[in-house]
Amino acid sequence: MPGGGFRVLHLVRPFLSFLPEVQSAERKVPFREKVLYTVISLFIFLVCSQLPLYGIHSTTGADPFYWMRVILASNRGTVMELGITPIVTSGLVMQLLVGSKIIEVDNSVREDRALMNGAQKLLGILIAIGEAVAYVLSGMYGSVGQLGAGNAILIILQLFFAGIIVICLDELLQKGYGLGSGISLFIATNICENIIWKAFSPTTINSGRGAEFEGAVIALFHLLITRTDKVRALREAFYRQNLPNVTNLLATVLVFLIVIYFQGFRVVLPVRSKNARGQQGSYPIKLFYTSNMPIILQSALVTNLYFISQLLYKKYSTNFLVNLLGKWKESEYSGGHFIPVGGLAYYITAPSSLADMAANPFHALFYIVFMLSACALFSKTWIEVSGSSARDVAKQLKEQQMVMPGHRESNLQRELNRYIPTAAAFGGMCIGALTVLADFMGAIGSGTGILLAVTIIYQYFETFEKERASELGFFGF
Amino acid sequence: MARGTSQSQASSSSLSRPGLAAPRGTPAASAAGMRRRRISTGSTPASASASGGSSNMLRFYTDDAPGLKISPTLVLVMSLCFIGFVTGLHVFGKLYRYNTGST
Repeated sequence: MPGGGFRVLHLVRPFLSFLPEVQSAERKVPFREKVLYTVISLFIFLVCSQLPLYGIHSTTGADPFYWMRVILASNRGTVMELGITPIVTSGLVMQLLVGSKIIEVDNSVREDRALMNGAQKLLGILIAIGEAVAYVLSGMYGSVGQLGAGNAILIILQLFFAGIIVICLDELLQKGYGLGSGISLFIATNICENIIWKAFSPTTINSGRGAEFEGAVIALFHLLITRTDKVRALREAFYRQNLPNVTNLLATVLVFLIVIYFQGFRVVLPVRSKNARGQQGSYPIKLFYTSNMPIILQSALVTNLYFISQLLYKKYSTNFLVNLLGKWKESEYSGGHFIPVGGLAYYITAPSSLADMAANPFHALFYIVFMLSACALFSKTWIEVSGSSARDVAKQLKEQQMVMPGHRESNLQRELNRYIPTAAAFGGMCIGALTVLADFMGAIGSGTGILLAVTIIYQYFETFEKERASELGFFGF
Repeated sequence: MARGTSQSQASSSSLSRPGLAAPRGTPAASAAGMRRRRISTGSTPASASASGGSSNMLRFYTDDAPGLKISPTLVLVMSLCFIGFVTGLHVFGKLYRYNTGST
Protein backbone atom coordinates (compact mmCIF):
# COMPACT_ATOMS: atom_id res chain seq x y z
CA MET A 1 0.00 0.00 0.00
CA PRO A 2 1.47 3.36 -0.93
CA GLY A 3 2.10 5.53 2.07
CA GLY A 4 1.33 8.86 0.46
CA GLY A 5 -1.33 9.83 -1.97
CA PHE A 6 -4.97 10.46 -1.55
CA ARG A 7 -7.09 7.86 0.17
CA VAL A 8 -10.86 7.87 0.28
CA LEU A 9 -10.89 6.62 3.83
CA HIS A 10 -9.18 9.75 5.09
CA LEU A 11 -12.20 11.80 4.15
CA VAL A 12 -13.88 10.35 7.20
CA ARG A 13 -11.29 11.63 9.65
CA PRO A 14 -12.76 15.10 10.33
CA PHE A 15 -16.08 13.50 11.28
CA LEU A 16 -14.54 10.89 13.51
CA SER A 17 -14.70 12.98 16.64
CA PHE A 18 -18.41 13.65 16.26
CA LEU A 19 -19.53 10.08 15.81
CA PRO A 20 -21.07 8.51 18.88
CA GLU A 21 -19.04 5.62 20.12
CA VAL A 22 -19.96 3.25 22.90
CA GLN A 23 -16.92 2.69 25.06
CA SER A 24 -15.71 -0.88 25.33
CA ALA A 25 -16.27 -2.84 28.45
CA GLU A 26 -13.23 -2.52 30.68
CA ARG A 27 -14.05 -5.51 32.75
CA LYS A 28 -15.72 -8.77 32.02
CA VAL A 29 -19.41 -8.10 32.05
CA PRO A 30 -21.08 -10.84 34.04
CA PHE A 31 -23.57 -13.05 32.28
CA ARG A 32 -26.56 -11.76 34.25
CA GLU A 33 -25.71 -8.18 33.41
CA LYS A 34 -25.38 -9.08 29.75
CA VAL A 35 -28.83 -10.60 29.79
CA LEU A 36 -30.12 -7.46 31.48
CA TYR A 37 -28.61 -5.17 28.84
CA THR A 38 -29.95 -7.38 26.08
CA VAL A 39 -33.45 -7.41 27.54
CA ILE A 40 -33.54 -3.65 28.03
CA SER A 41 -32.32 -3.05 24.48
CA LEU A 42 -34.95 -5.40 23.19
CA PHE A 43 -37.58 -3.62 25.27
CA ILE A 44 -36.56 -0.26 23.84
CA PHE A 45 -36.67 -1.69 20.35
CA LEU A 46 -40.12 -3.19 20.86
CA VAL A 47 -41.51 0.04 22.29
CA CYS A 48 -40.03 1.96 19.38
CA SER A 49 -41.59 -0.38 16.89
CA GLN A 50 -45.05 0.21 18.35
CA LEU A 51 -44.78 3.94 18.97
CA PRO A 52 -46.34 5.81 16.05
CA LEU A 53 -44.44 8.68 14.50
CA TYR A 54 -45.68 12.10 15.48
CA GLY A 55 -47.04 14.27 12.73
CA ILE A 56 -47.85 11.72 10.06
CA HIS A 57 -51.06 12.18 8.20
CA SER A 58 -51.77 8.79 6.78
CA THR A 59 -49.96 5.58 6.09
CA THR A 60 -52.16 4.41 3.27
CA GLY A 61 -49.76 5.26 0.46
CA ALA A 62 -47.75 2.68 -1.38
CA ASP A 63 -45.38 0.72 0.79
CA PRO A 64 -42.18 0.08 -1.10
CA PHE A 65 -40.71 -1.95 1.72
CA TYR A 66 -43.70 -4.24 2.19
CA TRP A 67 -41.67 -7.30 1.23
CA MET A 68 -38.79 -6.59 3.48
CA ARG A 69 -40.59 -5.30 6.55
CA VAL A 70 -40.08 -8.51 8.45
CA ILE A 71 -36.46 -8.96 7.56
CA LEU A 72 -35.47 -5.38 8.18
CA ALA A 73 -37.21 -5.26 11.54
CA SER A 74 -39.23 -2.22 10.64
CA ASN A 75 -42.81 -1.34 11.27
CA ARG A 76 -45.02 0.86 9.15
CA GLY A 77 -45.79 4.29 10.54
CA THR A 78 -43.81 3.80 13.73
CA VAL A 79 -40.58 5.30 14.97
CA MET A 80 -38.86 2.13 13.75
CA GLU A 81 -39.95 2.86 10.21
CA LEU A 82 -36.40 2.46 8.96
CA GLY A 83 -35.54 -0.44 11.25
CA ILE A 84 -32.04 -1.66 10.67
CA THR A 85 -31.93 -0.64 7.01
CA PRO A 86 -29.33 2.10 7.56
CA ILE A 87 -26.85 -0.24 9.27
CA VAL A 88 -27.35 -3.10 6.87
CA THR A 89 -27.18 -0.93 3.79
CA SER A 90 -24.06 0.87 4.92
CA GLY A 91 -22.49 -2.51 5.70
CA LEU A 92 -23.37 -3.70 2.22
CA VAL A 93 -21.97 -0.60 0.57
CA MET A 94 -18.74 -0.73 2.55
CA GLN A 95 -18.36 -4.37 1.68
CA LEU A 96 -18.76 -3.66 -1.99
CA LEU A 97 -16.32 -0.76 -1.80
CA VAL A 98 -13.70 -2.80 -0.01
CA GLY A 99 -14.30 -5.82 -2.21
CA SER A 100 -13.83 -3.78 -5.35
CA LYS A 101 -10.68 -2.16 -3.92
CA ILE A 102 -12.10 1.35 -4.19
CA ILE A 103 -11.34 1.76 -0.53
CA GLU A 104 -8.10 0.23 0.62
CA VAL A 105 -7.98 -1.00 4.15
CA ASP A 106 -5.04 -2.49 5.91
CA ASN A 107 -6.52 -4.66 8.60
CA SER A 108 -3.37 -4.63 10.66
CA VAL A 109 -3.19 -0.84 10.99
CA ARG A 110 -5.10 0.41 13.97
CA GLU A 111 -5.99 3.72 12.43
CA ASP A 112 -7.37 2.10 9.33
CA ARG A 113 -9.70 -0.02 11.35
CA ALA A 114 -10.91 3.01 13.29
CA LEU A 115 -11.47 4.94 10.08
CA MET A 116 -13.31 2.02 8.51
CA ASN A 117 -15.52 1.74 11.54
CA GLY A 118 -16.19 5.46 11.52
CA ALA A 119 -16.87 5.43 7.81
CA GLN A 120 -19.44 2.72 8.19
CA LYS A 121 -21.19 4.54 11.00
CA LEU A 122 -21.13 7.84 9.18
CA LEU A 123 -22.55 6.22 6.09
CA GLY A 124 -25.27 4.59 8.21
CA ILE A 125 -26.28 7.95 9.66
CA LEU A 126 -26.25 9.58 6.23
CA ILE A 127 -28.40 6.79 4.83
CA ALA A 128 -30.84 7.22 7.72
CA ILE A 129 -31.17 10.93 6.94
CA GLY A 130 -31.42 10.29 3.24
CA GLU A 131 -34.10 7.65 3.60
CA ALA A 132 -36.07 9.77 6.05
CA VAL A 133 -36.06 12.68 3.63
CA ALA A 134 -36.97 10.39 0.73
CA TYR A 135 -39.87 8.90 2.70
CA VAL A 136 -41.30 12.28 3.61
CA LEU A 137 -40.82 13.82 0.19
CA SER A 138 -42.22 10.82 -1.65
CA GLY A 139 -45.45 11.34 0.25
CA MET A 140 -45.58 8.15 2.25
CA TYR A 141 -47.15 9.97 5.17
CA GLY A 142 -49.26 12.29 3.08
CA SER A 143 -47.94 15.01 0.83
CA VAL A 144 -45.62 17.64 2.24
CA GLY A 145 -48.23 20.34 1.75
CA GLN A 146 -50.65 18.38 3.92
CA LEU A 147 -48.09 17.80 6.62
CA GLY A 148 -46.68 21.29 6.81
CA ALA A 149 -43.00 22.07 6.86
CA GLY A 150 -42.69 21.87 10.66
CA ASN A 151 -44.16 18.41 10.87
CA ALA A 152 -42.10 17.22 7.93
CA ILE A 153 -38.93 18.31 9.69
CA LEU A 154 -40.13 16.70 12.91
CA ILE A 155 -40.71 13.40 11.14
CA ILE A 156 -37.26 13.49 9.58
CA LEU A 157 -35.73 14.27 12.97
CA GLN A 158 -37.59 11.39 14.62
CA LEU A 159 -36.48 8.92 11.98
CA PHE A 160 -32.93 10.22 12.17
CA PHE A 161 -32.76 9.83 15.94
CA ALA A 162 -34.29 6.40 15.74
CA GLY A 163 -31.54 5.49 13.28
CA ILE A 164 -28.84 6.70 15.66
CA ILE A 165 -30.43 4.83 18.53
CA VAL A 166 -30.47 1.60 16.57
CA ILE A 167 -26.82 2.08 15.66
CA CYS A 168 -25.91 2.77 19.29
CA LEU A 169 -27.94 -0.16 20.63
CA ASP A 170 -26.33 -2.46 18.12
CA GLU A 171 -22.89 -1.25 19.12
CA LEU A 172 -23.74 -1.52 22.79
CA LEU A 173 -24.72 -5.14 22.40
CA GLN A 174 -21.73 -5.90 20.24
CA LYS A 175 -19.08 -4.32 22.41
CA GLY A 176 -19.54 -7.01 24.98
CA TYR A 177 -22.34 -5.62 27.09
CA GLY A 178 -24.94 -7.85 25.57
CA LEU A 179 -25.40 -11.16 23.82
CA GLY A 180 -24.98 -11.41 20.08
CA SER A 181 -25.56 -8.31 18.03
CA GLY A 182 -28.37 -5.82 17.88
CA ILE A 183 -29.15 -6.50 14.25
CA SER A 184 -29.65 -10.21 14.71
CA LEU A 185 -31.60 -9.74 17.92
CA PHE A 186 -34.02 -7.31 16.32
CA ILE A 187 -34.46 -9.37 13.18
CA ALA A 188 -35.12 -12.57 15.11
CA THR A 189 -37.60 -10.88 17.42
CA ASN A 190 -39.51 -9.38 14.56
CA ILE A 191 -39.70 -12.63 12.62
CA CYS A 192 -40.71 -14.72 15.61
CA GLU A 193 -43.36 -12.17 16.46
CA ASN A 194 -44.63 -12.44 12.93
CA ILE A 195 -44.76 -16.24 12.96
CA ILE A 196 -46.52 -16.40 16.31
CA TRP A 197 -48.99 -13.79 15.15
CA LYS A 198 -49.74 -15.62 11.91
CA ALA A 199 -50.27 -18.84 13.83
CA PHE A 200 -52.37 -17.62 16.72
CA SER A 201 -53.76 -14.27 15.67
CA PRO A 202 -57.29 -13.86 17.05
CA THR A 203 -58.35 -11.12 14.64
CA THR A 204 -61.15 -12.01 12.30
CA ILE A 205 -61.22 -11.06 8.67
CA ASN A 206 -64.35 -11.01 6.61
CA SER A 207 -63.54 -12.54 3.26
CA GLY A 208 -66.91 -13.12 1.71
CA ARG A 209 -67.47 -16.56 3.22
CA GLY A 210 -68.17 -15.23 6.67
CA ALA A 211 -65.72 -14.18 9.33
CA GLU A 212 -62.47 -16.12 9.37
CA PHE A 213 -59.72 -16.06 11.92
CA GLU A 214 -56.36 -14.85 10.69
CA GLY A 215 -54.28 -17.18 12.83
CA ALA A 216 -53.78 -20.60 11.21
CA VAL A 217 -54.16 -22.71 14.36
CA ILE A 218 -57.12 -20.78 15.68
CA ALA A 219 -58.78 -20.95 12.28
CA LEU A 220 -58.27 -24.73 12.23
CA PHE A 221 -60.15 -25.20 15.49
CA HIS A 222 -62.75 -22.63 14.64
CA LEU A 223 -63.52 -24.31 11.32
CA LEU A 224 -63.52 -27.79 12.87
CA ILE A 225 -65.99 -26.75 15.54
CA THR A 226 -68.36 -24.62 13.50
CA ARG A 227 -68.55 -26.52 10.23
CA THR A 228 -70.70 -29.62 10.01
CA ASP A 229 -68.68 -31.18 7.20
CA LYS A 230 -65.44 -31.93 9.06
CA VAL A 231 -63.46 -33.08 6.04
CA ARG A 232 -64.15 -29.93 4.11
CA ALA A 233 -63.38 -27.86 7.17
CA LEU A 234 -60.01 -29.59 7.48
CA ARG A 235 -59.27 -29.06 3.82
CA GLU A 236 -60.06 -25.39 4.07
CA ALA A 237 -57.91 -24.95 7.17
CA PHE A 238 -55.01 -26.59 5.38
CA TYR A 239 -55.27 -25.03 1.97
CA ARG A 240 -56.97 -21.65 2.20
CA GLN A 241 -55.16 -19.26 -0.07
CA ASN A 242 -55.65 -15.73 1.15
CA LEU A 243 -54.72 -16.22 4.81
CA PRO A 244 -52.02 -18.22 6.57
CA ASN A 245 -53.01 -21.87 6.60
CA VAL A 246 -51.83 -24.93 8.46
CA THR A 247 -49.64 -26.12 5.58
CA ASN A 248 -47.68 -22.89 5.81
CA LEU A 249 -47.20 -23.47 9.49
CA LEU A 250 -46.01 -27.05 8.96
CA ALA A 251 -43.65 -25.88 6.23
CA THR A 252 -42.21 -23.35 8.64
CA VAL A 253 -41.57 -26.01 11.25
CA LEU A 254 -40.01 -28.29 8.64
CA VAL A 255 -37.62 -25.59 7.44
CA PHE A 256 -36.68 -24.90 11.06
CA LEU A 257 -35.76 -28.54 11.56
CA ILE A 258 -33.83 -28.84 8.29
CA VAL A 259 -31.73 -25.77 9.01
CA ILE A 260 -30.90 -26.92 12.51
CA TYR A 261 -29.91 -30.30 11.13
CA PHE A 262 -27.57 -28.67 8.60
CA GLN A 263 -26.04 -26.46 11.26
CA GLY A 264 -24.31 -29.52 12.64
CA PHE A 265 -22.38 -30.20 9.41
CA ARG A 266 -18.73 -29.32 9.86
CA VAL A 267 -15.19 -30.30 9.06
CA VAL A 268 -13.09 -30.61 12.18
CA LEU A 269 -9.41 -29.82 11.80
CA PRO A 270 -7.27 -31.10 14.65
CA VAL A 271 -4.96 -28.51 16.17
CA ARG A 272 -2.35 -28.89 18.85
CA SER A 273 -0.81 -26.36 21.17
CA LYS A 274 2.91 -25.76 20.65
CA ASN A 275 3.95 -24.85 24.15
CA ALA A 276 1.58 -26.85 26.29
CA ARG A 277 2.28 -30.45 25.42
CA GLY A 278 -0.63 -32.75 25.05
CA GLN A 279 -3.19 -29.98 24.83
CA GLN A 280 -5.34 -31.06 21.92
CA GLY A 281 -7.98 -28.95 20.36
CA SER A 282 -10.02 -28.82 17.24
CA TYR A 283 -10.92 -26.07 14.86
CA PRO A 284 -14.30 -26.77 13.35
CA ILE A 285 -15.15 -25.28 9.98
CA LYS A 286 -18.89 -25.22 9.66
CA LEU A 287 -20.80 -25.74 6.47
CA PHE A 288 -22.64 -22.52 7.24
CA TYR A 289 -19.34 -20.78 7.73
CA THR A 290 -20.72 -17.32 7.17
CA SER A 291 -24.06 -18.25 8.70
CA ASN A 292 -26.82 -15.86 7.69
CA MET A 293 -24.66 -13.02 6.38
CA PRO A 294 -25.25 -13.88 2.71
CA ILE A 295 -29.00 -13.61 3.07
CA ILE A 296 -28.86 -10.41 5.06
CA LEU A 297 -26.74 -8.82 2.36
CA GLN A 298 -28.80 -10.30 -0.42
CA SER A 299 -32.04 -9.00 1.07
CA ALA A 300 -30.49 -5.59 1.63
CA LEU A 301 -29.55 -5.53 -2.03
CA VAL A 302 -33.02 -6.58 -3.15
CA THR A 303 -34.74 -4.07 -0.84
CA ASN A 304 -32.75 -1.17 -2.15
CA LEU A 305 -33.38 -2.28 -5.70
CA TYR A 306 -37.13 -2.47 -5.04
CA PHE A 307 -37.15 0.92 -3.41
CA ILE A 308 -35.32 2.62 -6.24
CA SER A 309 -37.30 0.77 -8.89
CA GLN A 310 -40.64 1.71 -7.32
CA LEU A 311 -39.70 5.34 -6.94
CA LEU A 312 -38.58 5.46 -10.57
CA TYR A 313 -41.64 3.59 -11.82
CA LYS A 314 -43.99 5.99 -10.08
CA LYS A 315 -42.30 8.96 -11.70
CA TYR A 316 -41.43 7.66 -15.15
CA SER A 317 -43.55 4.62 -15.87
CA THR A 318 -43.07 4.91 -19.62
CA ASN A 319 -39.30 4.95 -19.71
CA PHE A 320 -37.89 1.80 -21.24
CA LEU A 321 -34.95 1.49 -18.85
CA VAL A 322 -37.16 2.00 -15.82
CA ASN A 323 -39.51 -0.69 -17.07
CA LEU A 324 -36.55 -2.96 -17.54
CA LEU A 325 -35.69 -2.47 -13.88
CA GLY A 326 -39.18 -3.28 -12.69
CA LYS A 327 -42.88 -2.86 -13.38
CA TRP A 328 -45.22 -2.61 -10.41
CA LYS A 329 -48.89 -3.25 -9.88
CA GLU A 330 -51.07 -2.85 -6.82
CA SER A 331 -51.79 -6.15 -5.14
CA GLU A 332 -55.41 -7.24 -5.23
CA TYR A 333 -55.44 -8.96 -1.84
CA SER A 334 -54.37 -6.39 0.69
CA GLY A 335 -54.37 -2.92 -0.73
CA GLY A 336 -51.52 -0.53 -0.23
CA HIS A 337 -48.57 -2.52 -1.38
CA PHE A 338 -47.27 -3.05 -4.84
CA ILE A 339 -46.08 -6.29 -6.36
CA PRO A 340 -43.57 -6.52 -9.17
CA VAL A 341 -45.04 -7.79 -12.42
CA GLY A 342 -42.19 -7.25 -14.83
CA GLY A 343 -38.59 -6.37 -15.32
CA LEU A 344 -35.64 -7.33 -13.20
CA ALA A 345 -37.54 -6.80 -9.94
CA TYR A 346 -40.05 -9.46 -10.98
CA TYR A 347 -37.43 -12.02 -11.78
CA ILE A 348 -35.65 -11.72 -8.46
CA THR A 349 -38.89 -12.10 -6.52
CA ALA A 350 -39.92 -15.53 -5.36
CA PRO A 351 -42.78 -17.11 -7.32
CA SER A 352 -45.86 -16.88 -5.16
CA SER A 353 -46.85 -20.55 -5.45
CA LEU A 354 -46.05 -23.84 -7.10
CA ALA A 355 -48.71 -23.19 -9.72
CA ASP A 356 -47.15 -19.85 -10.50
CA MET A 357 -43.82 -21.60 -10.82
CA ALA A 358 -45.20 -24.09 -13.33
CA ALA A 359 -46.74 -21.28 -15.33
CA ASN A 360 -43.51 -19.29 -15.53
CA PRO A 361 -40.65 -21.76 -15.47
CA PHE A 362 -38.18 -19.14 -16.66
CA HIS A 363 -39.03 -16.88 -13.76
CA ALA A 364 -38.51 -19.74 -11.29
CA LEU A 365 -35.24 -20.73 -12.90
CA PHE A 366 -33.93 -17.19 -12.92
CA TYR A 367 -34.91 -16.72 -9.31
CA ILE A 368 -33.14 -19.88 -8.22
CA VAL A 369 -29.98 -19.04 -10.13
CA PHE A 370 -30.01 -15.51 -8.79
CA MET A 371 -30.47 -16.62 -5.19
CA LEU A 372 -27.77 -19.27 -5.31
CA SER A 373 -25.16 -17.19 -7.05
CA ALA A 374 -25.84 -14.05 -5.01
CA CYS A 375 -25.59 -15.98 -1.75
CA ALA A 376 -22.41 -17.76 -2.78
CA LEU A 377 -20.79 -14.54 -3.96
CA PHE A 378 -21.72 -12.55 -0.88
CA SER A 379 -20.51 -15.36 1.29
CA LYS A 380 -17.14 -15.42 -0.44
CA THR A 381 -16.60 -11.68 -0.27
CA TRP A 382 -17.82 -11.57 3.31
CA ILE A 383 -15.03 -13.77 4.65
CA GLU A 384 -12.50 -11.38 3.18
CA VAL A 385 -14.10 -8.29 4.62
CA SER A 386 -14.98 -9.61 8.04
CA GLY A 387 -11.56 -11.04 8.72
CA SER A 388 -12.42 -14.71 8.73
CA SER A 389 -10.59 -15.74 5.57
CA ALA A 390 -7.96 -18.47 5.61
CA ARG A 391 -5.17 -15.94 6.09
CA ASP A 392 -6.82 -14.33 9.11
CA VAL A 393 -7.67 -17.65 10.71
CA ALA A 394 -4.12 -18.88 10.19
CA LYS A 395 -2.79 -15.73 11.85
CA GLN A 396 -5.21 -16.11 14.71
CA LEU A 397 -4.19 -19.71 15.30
CA LYS A 398 -0.55 -18.76 15.14
CA GLU A 399 -1.10 -16.08 17.77
CA GLN A 400 -2.59 -18.71 20.00
CA GLN A 401 0.44 -20.93 19.37
CA MET A 402 -1.62 -23.62 17.75
CA VAL A 403 -0.32 -25.84 14.98
CA MET A 404 -1.83 -28.60 12.95
CA PRO A 405 -0.16 -31.91 13.65
CA GLY A 406 1.52 -33.30 10.55
CA HIS A 407 1.81 -29.91 8.87
CA ARG A 408 4.47 -27.28 9.01
CA GLU A 409 3.55 -23.90 10.30
CA SER A 410 3.83 -22.26 6.92
CA ASN A 411 1.48 -24.86 5.56
CA LEU A 412 -1.33 -23.84 7.88
CA GLN A 413 -2.77 -21.22 5.63
CA ARG A 414 -2.71 -23.47 2.59
CA GLU A 415 -4.38 -26.22 4.52
CA LEU A 416 -7.09 -23.84 5.73
CA ASN A 417 -7.42 -22.48 2.24
CA ARG A 418 -8.53 -25.88 1.08
CA TYR A 419 -11.59 -25.72 3.28
CA ILE A 420 -12.61 -22.18 4.11
CA PRO A 421 -13.41 -20.68 0.69
CA THR A 422 -15.21 -23.86 -0.31
CA ALA A 423 -17.17 -23.90 2.91
CA ALA A 424 -18.06 -20.25 2.47
CA ALA A 425 -19.20 -20.53 -1.13
CA PHE A 426 -20.95 -23.86 -0.75
CA GLY A 427 -22.50 -22.86 2.57
CA GLY A 428 -23.80 -19.66 1.03
CA MET A 429 -25.29 -21.67 -1.80
CA CYS A 430 -26.95 -24.07 0.64
CA ILE A 431 -28.42 -21.14 2.53
CA GLY A 432 -29.73 -19.77 -0.75
CA ALA A 433 -31.17 -23.15 -1.70
CA LEU A 434 -32.91 -23.49 1.65
CA THR A 435 -34.36 -20.03 1.24
CA VAL A 436 -35.75 -20.98 -2.14
CA LEU A 437 -37.14 -24.21 -0.70
CA ALA A 438 -38.83 -22.35 2.14
CA ASP A 439 -40.31 -19.88 -0.31
CA PHE A 440 -41.72 -22.60 -2.51
CA MET A 441 -43.26 -24.42 0.42
CA GLY A 442 -44.87 -21.17 1.47
CA ALA A 443 -43.33 -20.91 4.90
CA ILE A 444 -44.70 -18.07 7.00
CA GLY A 445 -42.76 -14.84 6.81
CA SER A 446 -40.89 -15.64 3.56
CA GLY A 447 -38.00 -18.05 3.17
CA THR A 448 -35.42 -15.38 3.86
CA GLY A 449 -37.11 -14.49 7.12
CA ILE A 450 -37.28 -18.06 8.36
CA LEU A 451 -33.67 -18.77 7.48
CA LEU A 452 -32.55 -15.64 9.27
CA ALA A 453 -34.60 -16.45 12.34
CA VAL A 454 -33.35 -20.02 12.62
CA THR A 455 -29.69 -19.20 12.12
CA ILE A 456 -29.89 -16.33 14.59
CA ILE A 457 -31.64 -18.40 17.23
CA TYR A 458 -29.06 -21.13 16.75
CA GLN A 459 -26.28 -18.59 17.19
CA TYR A 460 -27.90 -17.40 20.38
CA PHE A 461 -28.02 -20.94 21.70
CA GLU A 462 -24.32 -21.31 20.98
CA THR A 463 -23.55 -18.01 22.69
CA PHE A 464 -25.58 -19.02 25.72
CA GLU A 465 -23.72 -22.30 25.98
CA LYS A 466 -20.37 -20.60 25.62
CA GLU A 467 -21.20 -17.98 28.21
CA ARG A 468 -22.40 -20.59 30.61
CA ALA A 469 -19.26 -22.66 30.04
CA SER A 470 -16.91 -19.72 30.54
CA GLU A 471 -18.82 -18.65 33.64
CA LEU A 472 -18.43 -22.13 35.08
CA GLY A 473 -14.78 -22.10 34.08
CA PHE A 474 -14.23 -18.92 36.02
CA PHE A 475 -15.88 -20.36 39.06
CA GLY A 476 -13.69 -23.41 38.69
CA PHE A 477 -10.48 -21.42 38.97
CA MET B 1 -39.69 -2.22 36.90
CA ALA B 2 -38.03 0.45 34.86
CA ARG B 3 -36.94 2.22 38.01
CA GLY B 4 -35.30 -0.85 39.43
CA THR B 5 -33.32 -1.58 36.31
CA SER B 6 -32.18 1.97 35.86
CA GLN B 7 -30.95 2.02 39.43
CA SER B 8 -28.93 -1.12 39.02
CA GLN B 9 -27.42 0.32 35.91
CA ALA B 10 -26.50 3.55 37.62
CA SER B 11 -24.61 1.60 40.22
CA SER B 12 -22.78 -0.44 37.62
CA SER B 13 -21.78 2.67 35.70
CA SER B 14 -20.44 4.31 38.83
CA LEU B 15 -18.28 1.24 39.31
CA SER B 16 -16.72 1.64 35.91
CA ARG B 17 -16.35 5.40 36.20
CA PRO B 18 -12.78 5.44 37.57
CA GLY B 19 -11.49 3.58 34.55
CA LEU B 20 -13.15 6.09 32.33
CA ALA B 21 -11.59 9.01 34.09
CA ALA B 22 -8.08 7.65 33.75
CA PRO B 23 -6.27 9.26 30.81
CA ARG B 24 -4.83 5.99 29.57
CA GLY B 25 -8.26 4.40 29.47
CA THR B 26 -8.16 3.17 25.90
CA PRO B 27 -4.89 1.26 25.76
CA ALA B 28 -5.55 -0.21 29.19
CA ALA B 29 -8.96 -1.35 28.07
CA SER B 30 -7.67 -2.94 24.92
CA ALA B 31 -4.88 -4.61 26.82
CA ALA B 32 -7.40 -5.99 29.26
CA GLY B 33 -9.45 -7.21 26.37
CA MET B 34 -6.44 -8.99 24.89
CA ARG B 35 -5.59 -10.62 28.16
CA ARG B 36 -9.12 -11.74 28.67
CA ARG B 37 -9.16 -13.34 25.29
CA ARG B 38 -5.97 -15.18 26.05
CA ILE B 39 -7.40 -16.60 29.22
CA SER B 40 -10.64 -17.70 27.73
CA THR B 41 -9.01 -19.21 24.70
CA GLY B 42 -6.22 -20.79 26.67
CA SER B 43 -8.48 -23.15 28.52
CA THR B 44 -10.60 -24.29 25.60
CA PRO B 45 -9.13 -23.18 22.30
CA ALA B 46 -11.71 -24.90 20.18
CA SER B 47 -14.82 -23.47 21.71
CA ALA B 48 -13.52 -19.94 21.70
CA SER B 49 -12.52 -19.83 18.07
CA ALA B 50 -15.47 -21.84 16.86
CA SER B 51 -17.71 -18.87 16.31
CA GLY B 52 -16.23 -18.44 12.86
CA GLY B 53 -17.57 -16.09 10.27
CA SER B 54 -20.24 -13.77 11.40
CA SER B 55 -19.93 -13.36 15.11
CA ASN B 56 -19.37 -9.71 14.37
CA MET B 57 -22.32 -9.22 12.14
CA LEU B 58 -21.94 -5.97 10.32
CA ARG B 59 -19.46 -4.25 12.54
CA PHE B 60 -16.13 -4.99 11.02
CA TYR B 61 -13.93 -4.19 13.96
CA THR B 62 -14.94 -3.95 17.53
CA ASP B 63 -11.97 -2.15 18.98
CA ASP B 64 -12.18 1.41 20.17
CA ALA B 65 -12.19 4.28 17.77
CA PRO B 66 -11.72 7.91 18.69
CA GLY B 67 -15.09 9.50 18.90
CA LEU B 68 -17.76 10.84 21.14
CA LYS B 69 -17.41 8.34 23.96
CA ILE B 70 -20.69 7.40 25.56
CA SER B 71 -21.29 4.86 28.26
CA PRO B 72 -23.79 2.04 27.72
CA THR B 73 -26.04 3.48 30.40
CA LEU B 74 -26.15 6.74 28.49
CA VAL B 75 -27.27 4.90 25.36
CA LEU B 76 -30.17 3.33 27.21
CA VAL B 77 -31.09 6.59 28.93
CA MET B 78 -30.87 8.40 25.60
CA SER B 79 -33.21 5.93 23.94
CA LEU B 80 -35.68 6.15 26.81
CA CYS B 81 -35.56 9.95 26.57
CA PHE B 82 -36.24 9.70 22.86
CA ILE B 83 -39.24 7.47 23.48
CA GLY B 84 -40.43 9.91 26.12
CA PHE B 85 -39.94 12.80 23.75
CA VAL B 86 -42.01 11.25 20.98
CA THR B 87 -44.73 10.30 23.44
CA GLY B 88 -44.65 13.86 24.71
CA LEU B 89 -45.03 15.16 21.17
CA HIS B 90 -48.12 13.02 20.77
CA VAL B 91 -49.60 14.22 24.03
CA PHE B 92 -48.89 17.87 23.32
CA GLY B 93 -50.10 17.49 19.78
CA LYS B 94 -53.42 16.15 21.07
CA LEU B 95 -53.73 18.89 23.69
CA TYR B 96 -52.88 21.61 21.21
CA ARG B 97 -55.36 20.35 18.68
CA TYR B 98 -58.01 20.03 21.39
CA ASN B 99 -57.42 23.63 22.53
CA THR B 100 -57.50 25.10 19.07
CA GLY B 101 -60.53 23.00 18.25
CA SER B 102 -62.51 24.24 21.26
CA THR B 103 -61.66 27.90 20.96
